[in-house]
Amino acid sequence: METAETTGTATFLTATDALSPRDRRLGKLLLAPALAYIFLLVALPFVLALFLSLTNSSAGSLDFSFVGLQNFANVVRNPVFRRALWNTFVFTFVSQVLVMVLGNILARALLKKFRGKLLVRFLILMPWAAPISLATLGWLWIFDSTFSVINWVLKVVGWLGPGQWYYWLGDPTLGMVAIITVHVWRLLPFSTVILLAGLTSIPSEVHEAADIDGAGPLAKAFQITIPMMLPILTVAILFGTVFTFTDMNVVYLLTRGGPYNSTHVLASLAYQEGVLGGDVGRGASIAIFLLPLLVVMAVLMLRISRRAEVV
Amino acid sequence: METRRQFLLKGGSLVAAGVAAAAAGPTIFTRGAAAADKTLKILQWSHFVPAYDKWFDPFAKEWGAKHGIEVTVDHVGFADVVPRATAEVAAQSGHDLHMFIGLASAFEEHVIDLKDVVGTLEKKYGKQVELAHRSTYNPFTKKQFAVSDMWVPDPGNYHKKIWTDIGQPNGPSTYEDLVKAAPEIKKKYPQIQIPIGVGLSQDIDSNMAVRNMLWCHGGSIQDKESNVILNSPETLNALEYAKRLYSVGMTQAVLSWNAASNNQAFNAQETSYILNSISAYRTAQDNNLPVLENYFFVPALKGPAGIMLASEHVMSGYVVWKFSKSQESAKEFLVALIDASRESMLASKLYNFPSFYGAVADPNTVMSKKYDSGAAWIAKQCNNDPFGSKPADKLALLAKALPWSTNLGYPGFANPAEGEIFDTYVITDMFAKAATGALAPKDSMTEASNRAKEIFNKWRKKGMVPGGSKDR
Repeated sequence: METAETTGTATFLTATDALSPRDRRLGKLLLAPALAYIFLLVALPFVLALFLSLTNSSAGSLDFSFVGLQNFANVVRNPVFRRALWNTFVFTFVSQVLVMVLGNILARALLKKFRGKLLVRFLILMPWAAPISLATLGWLWIFDSTFSVINWVLKVVGWLGPGQWYYWLGDPTLGMVAIITVHVWRLLPFSTVILLAGLTSIPSEVHEAADIDGAGPLAKAFQITIPMMLPILTVAILFGTVFTFTDMNVVYLLTRGGPYNSTHVLASLAYQEGVLGGDVGRGASIAIFLLPLLVVMAVLMLRISRRAEVV
Repeated sequence: METRRQFLLKGGSLVAAGVAAAAAGPTIFTRGAAAADKTLKILQWSHFVPAYDKWFDPFAKEWGAKHGIEVTVDHVGFADVVPRATAEVAAQSGHDLHMFIGLASAFEEHVIDLKDVVGTLEKKYGKQVELAHRSTYNPFTKKQFAVSDMWVPDPGNYHKKIWTDIGQPNGPSTYEDLVKAAPEIKKKYPQIQIPIGVGLSQDIDSNMAVRNMLWCHGGSIQDKESNVILNSPETLNALEYAKRLYSVGMTQAVLSWNAASNNQAFNAQETSYILNSISAYRTAQDNNLPVLENYFFVPALKGPAGIMLASEHVMSGYVVWKFSKSQESAKEFLVALIDASRESMLASKLYNFPSFYGAVADPNTVMSKKYDSGAAWIAKQCNNDPFGSKPADKLALLAKALPWSTNLGYPGFANPAEGEIFDTYVITDMFAKAATGALAPKDSMTEASNRAKEIFNKWRKKGMVPGGSKDR
């Protein structure tokens, strides 16, 4: 009998080749719901958004004309848009740095054995599980310009003197601080869990061997922990970054982009212009403005996650 | 034990049965619907006075039961009224009757002309109030795109004791009074956080407050012919005034307010003056708050040239979508709702004011007297508040609110461009930037004027808004 070995040619059988036609049909059938989901709820709206950004479509009408890149030219001239673009980068960068640093600290703390660890883990996960609208309402009171509980506490402890007050949501800088705080609070559990999974996946023998070789904490961190966690760390950062770039919930529920449109990010501005203002074409152009950047990130994400699989 | 194939075959049969059932679905549904007669789906806001919803929902259901129509009422928060309309237009399905609390003009193309409904109502009750007409009719396209059953006055709310202590027991009557009073209030009541609480934030109440300020200083976004005239010395005066008022009487808190914030600040006695309808007052009554005995009202304030105007606080605008299959039922319901204007006003605890004064006239009044009879009935309620005001005539000024109340789009008609400017906070941001010094008043005005012209031009190209030849 002639085989691949006897003929001397290399034959590689893929998993699909090994399946019978019946099983292949079954495979396609099982894959269909996921593909339909991606096509209908991701690809189609995305293509529609791209298309709408090139039209003068408005909310109250199904008619529109093709206007080319006019919407993009108009929004770039708008100072509110330029501010929102800047805010998007600040919001994303600062919150990601904080999430990674704080997530690392929490994950390391949770690696240790202590009483009530289960309860602490549960409490840490709470913000991730709570509906964002409900949670933000709580934060809205915490940061309320007239009744902020933070301010009252600061007043009681003497930090704020007579006539001094922090207008958390009424000041452009403090507004961004409030937005970033809530977003970090919201993302922290997810990043902690991911980092915790990464830390626990490092075999203890590696650390023991390093201890025997006399490696200090810094050497262990930079030569063992970080390199071994790099794939998962990168995925966490990229996921968080893309998620933050495209998120509008916190901004919209907390400041609605105010004061005077100074705390908008692109996603919330797109909602204000496209849905509330009814200028769908303009809203779509704002929403997809960062598309090239997000595409690069998505490609990076896919490459790194593939590398993570190998690891 | 079943093999995977057998399991899938069984599953496939179930799916096939499901598909067949779904295909038969519309037939079954139609039969079922026919058996239960017609349907009417209404989308309403959640009223700021919750007692109104408790009246409206059973009223609509009972009306439906009498006419063999199954009525469904869905409520959404006021901020979701427009996004919901956008979604329903995009899907070309949803409710039959959609209530807007501001401008419905952007959706004109997708709603039916309700001229016949207004015609019927005018035959029964006489003319509707001018600001309702100007908010629901497009003179350019000659379309009655909505029908208004009610509007809400927007008086000033002031703290009697505080204003008495600074020598003005009847509260402010001009914009200049606010600037003069603020330092005195600060001196006498240093614990009060915001002496004067006029919102400058991205919310609905601030949107009205800044328009009042603009109009009373002689400025406006458009003229009667829909030319954009925001870039004017009058607008600049209004912005300079806002800057003065902010520096002496307000804090950054007013830049962050949402629709409830001014109510909360006033009810907590953290401010002495706000612009609001009576919903905040009713909340204070319901909760018997300490502020209640000092909760009083003043009409719109006068500007430097004596102009005294305030935007309506809410203007209802019911539209019937073109995609609705119950258009006739929707029209009949609108007539029935306006027939019940007395009940509506009482159910809302005098929050709603009828758009057709004749609809609250005494029964059997002759047509020529209906408006006056209706106005007299409204005055009777306000002069002797049936909901426990002390003194009983505390709300008397509301009965005289019509002359100083106007529509969004003043001095012209409401239109989609005015609606977009309202919904994207162009005017509140202009005032906030000028007041806080984020931009010089002139620069702030130029920025807002450019954006307003951009928006108007867009709608003009769509053939929905006239003007343009005299844009400034």
